[in-house]
Amino acid sequence: MAEDLRSVTGLDRLIHEPARLLIVTILASVASADFLFLQRETGLTKGNLSAHLSKLEEAGYVKIEKTFKGKLPLTVCKLTAAGKKALTQYRQQLQDFMQKTSSA
Amino acid sequence: MQTNLSDVERRVKRYWYTDGLGELIGGGMFVLMGTYFALQEFLGQNSTLGGILQAGFVLLLIGGMFLGRRLIHFLKARLTYPRTGYVEYHTTEKNTLRRFLAVGIGMGVAMFLVVIARRLDSIDATVALTGVLVSVILLVNQIWSAGVLRFYVLSAVSLLLGIVLSVSHLPDGYNLGLFYGAMGIAFLISGGRTLQHYLRANPLPAEDSNG
Repeated sequence: MAEDLRSVTGLDRLIHEPARLLIVTILASVASADFLFLQRETGLTKGNLSAHLSKLEEAGYVKIEKTFKGKLPLTVCKLTAAGKKALTQYRQQLQDFMQKTSSA
Repeated sequence: MQTNLSDVERRVKRYWYTDGLGELIGGGMFVLMGTYFALQEFLGQNSTLGGILQAGFVLLLIGGMFLGRRLIHFLKARLTYPRTGYVEYHTTEKNTLRRFLAVGIGMGVAMFLVVIARRLDSIDATVALTGVLVSVILLVNQIWSAGVLRFYVLSAVSLLLGIVLSVSHLPDGYNLGLFYGAMGIAFLISGGRTLQHYLRANPLPAEDSNG
């Protein structure tokens, strides 16, 4: 049991934070999404969302591009391959932990 | 932050349908198809204009599919993205395969309908089958789009229309014309109401709100 509990400490803390987990989950469901969409879906303030996106970008999980869609300026965010891998791994770890603790 | 991650994924998939633009364009297409079938019946198969119309039907279908999607993107860029944000969906091989499969099934069913109609020498069977087909497509679309409830209603309308019109004994092409026309109007009402609600609920945000 103690070992099972210790496995939680191995979780990726960058993704484990609820707001960032939400951002990464949204980005995993689409090819890309802009800042406005992420702000509305997460309910975070601009500053908060910017800070979380910066952390994810620094870790190489998210790629941020300033672009245009027609005349509309967009800050488009994409989940990188590393980000997808990290999310899959995180979900698997959490699932394993839940299974172990529920059967214990 | 009590959020079910699966719900988040479903909500993101549903976002494509949030503004009703797809239904509005689809409704327009259906009305055009309805007009085509009614005109074809009115003009008769042997008239020159009827022949031109018949040839134009293929163009209407293929052109409508390509132009419709472009038009949706064009309108979304002006109405939806500035209000609630821009999303690009995955175009994976699986999605492309699914699209080809859907088109293939659609074409297969269409050919089947033509054969059935010719054998029975009655277009009533065609309108009933069309009603079922459109109903099933809407249901499948509903499952893929992860929970857009109004598609259930449209699916039921299609089934009901197909059944009612198949026993109406109206002249041949008018049946199909009425079916597509009425379905088009149902789509336009559904899409119009959705768009109206969407625009009311989501006013344009301030200029600098995109990060």
